[in-house]
Amino acid sequence: MSLGKILGKRALSILAAVGVCVLAQMVLTQSVDGFLLRLFFLGGLYVTLAVSLNLINGITGQFSIGHAGFYMVGAYAAGLSSNYFFPRQSLDMPAYLLVSVLIGSVAAAIAGLIVGLPSLRLKGDYLAVVTLGFGEIIRIITLNQEAWGGSYGYNLNHKHQSLALVFLLAIVCIAVCRNLLKSAHGLAFLAVREDEVAAQAMGINLTKTKVVAFVVGATFAGAAGALFAHDSGFINPDLFKMELSFLILTMVVLGGTGSITGSVLAAATLFLIPELLRIAKFEVSQGVLLGVLVAVGVMVYTIRLVERTFHGEKTQKSLLLLGAVVMPYVVMFGVGKLLETYTILGDKFYKANDLRWVILAIVLLVVMLIRPSGLFGHHEFSWDWLRSKMNRRAVEA
Amino acid sequence: MALLRMEDVTIKFGGLTAVNQVNFDIEKGDLFGLIGPNGAGKTTCFNMITGVYTPTSGKVIFEGNDISGTPPNKIAQVGICRTFQNIRLFGALSALENVMVGAYLRHQTSLFSGFMLSPRAIRETAELRKKSMELLSVVNLADEASSRSSDMSYGKQRRLEIARAMATDPKLILLDEPAAGMNPQEKDELRAVVHRIRDEFEKTVLLIEHDMKFVMNLCEKIVVLDHGEEIAAGGPDEIRSNPKVIEAYLGEPV
Repeated sequence: MSLGKILGKRALSILAAVGVCVLAQMVLTQSVDGFLLRLFFLGGLYVTLAVSLNLINGITGQFSIGHAGFYMVGAYAAGLSSNYFFPRQSLDMPAYLLVSVLIGSVAAAIAGLIVGLPSLRLKGDYLAVVTLGFGEIIRIITLNQEAWGGSYGYNLNHKHQSLALVFLLAIVCIAVCRNLLKSAHGLAFLAVREDEVAAQAMGINLTKTKVVAFVVGATFAGAAGALFAHDSGFINPDLFKMELSFLILTMVVLGGTGSITGSVLAAATLFLIPELLRIAKFEVSQGVLLGVLVAVGVMVYTIRLVERTFHGEKTQKSLLLLGAVVMPYVVMFGVGKLLETYTILGDKFYKANDLRWVILAIVLLVVMLIRPSGLFGHHEFSWDWLRSKMNRRAVEA
Repeated sequence: MALLRMEDVTIKFGGLTAVNQVNFDIEKGDLFGLIGPNGAGKTTCFNMITGVYTPTSGKVIFEGNDISGTPPNKIAQVGICRTFQNIRLFGALSALENVMVGAYLRHQTSLFSGFMLSPRAIRETAELRKKSMELLSVVNLADEASSRSSDMSYGKQRRLEIARAMATDPKLILLDEPAAGMNPQEKDELRAVVHRIRDEFEKTVLLIEHDMKFVMNLCEKIVVLDHGEEIAAGGPDEIRSNPKVIEAYLGEPV
């Protein structure tokens, strides 16, 4: 491809990305209510967080579970600086937000450097403990700063929800990671994940590679934090607890470590499941719930049984798998109804809202049992892949 | 001037002297063999040359510079690259990508342009891919370019490691038991590959090997280690008839 063509294509895709983001904001703010708008906003943030953690965890193989810490540094840096530098002026919002995002991401990048450098002697579980500790230390320090509001939280003078910026941030984050993987530099990061000794023997500077991964990952988390702080106008150390780090980590693992596509999809799904169940209007009796739980277990094991023992025709196998999915439900709903009529377990009914975390946990269990390597494994979605699939299908038909 | 000179190199782990006062010179273009029974300190020598260990005393001199204690990635930079006794490929990457990681060392564009995927980065990545494909065909693995390296057979993995080390464009290439676990036919292929590396690509080769027949047919100069001591040095014929070597390998005559 010629230079002009590459640059032209690049300019076009940047324009398209900005255009789509602005358009999305215009359309969504017109047509959707506040709750859904916030879901879109938070969805964008989670995608950014998951993809940026994927750079550290999945691509470079540095097991970090302190991502909420970087997110928090970004949020507080942006909040504190915006109250300090722009106390009361009425400001042109997006331009001022950009400055704030910049401050937040730089602060988080510095935090990434501080965590990255000394932790480089550590691997695996040991590194995980250090990053976990970092997240908690940052949170507890903030909790004890009275000037920053301590446990009461910190109020921002400006409050602005910019969907366009959030979407743009997510797109930039995805683009940067994808670019890295498409260039030869990405191979250095993957090599560090696969085997550090061999990578170093091939001349790769381990320190540099790991620190860059930490800093870039933290930068995006910090930018996300800055946008989050300005969206709610109020930040509080409790918003950045260990659970958040684990949720982001779960997104990365569920999507398939190293796969950007996987991280994006898993982030959107894992975040949306509990949020949508919050407004879903259905009730389940204890009996049925128990039935479903058992059914899921039976389903997972029958699927695995079929996978392991059946070696034959493809259509037959898919029929068997379908049976393995459907049958446990039919049986267990019957059992559930029976339990319900006899009210062995009492007759309490659960609302969808009460079950959000249970359902999330079940989804995780099922995915991890059926596909331990995550939804996408190490693979990525690409148009070439889709095209080859389609072609194969056409040839078969 | 010798390409690589080991000058009284000694390393001690606690009370154990793993390598004691080893001296040898490798000239440019040599096919040099380092042999000895198990535990003789051969791989430890490799680890000292490639910067994994720092010698307790003595010097490793490469092209006139003392390189003892330099970190492994710098050693690769100055032009020494190795393969591993227990294969260490990047398992999840394809054969081609493994070789590209080696070739990445001579990569010019900055990391930032990688993140931005600048036109230069695209062009250079394509060049790396082309260069790596050529190296894969040198070790007869061109057909396997896209297969996952951990799924390949043992012999192929060994050859892939050689291609990966070659890709860093070293002056001296260290092969740690390249023929281990290979069948006779694979060994013949390997011998041809090693000759090609030396003659066509003009690299200097230092190899550790247990298979006597393989070493004697391949190497022009050989150093024998036993319990960390250098017990013999010379051409294959001298080594074959050296009583100390026979004793080290077969035990004392009764």
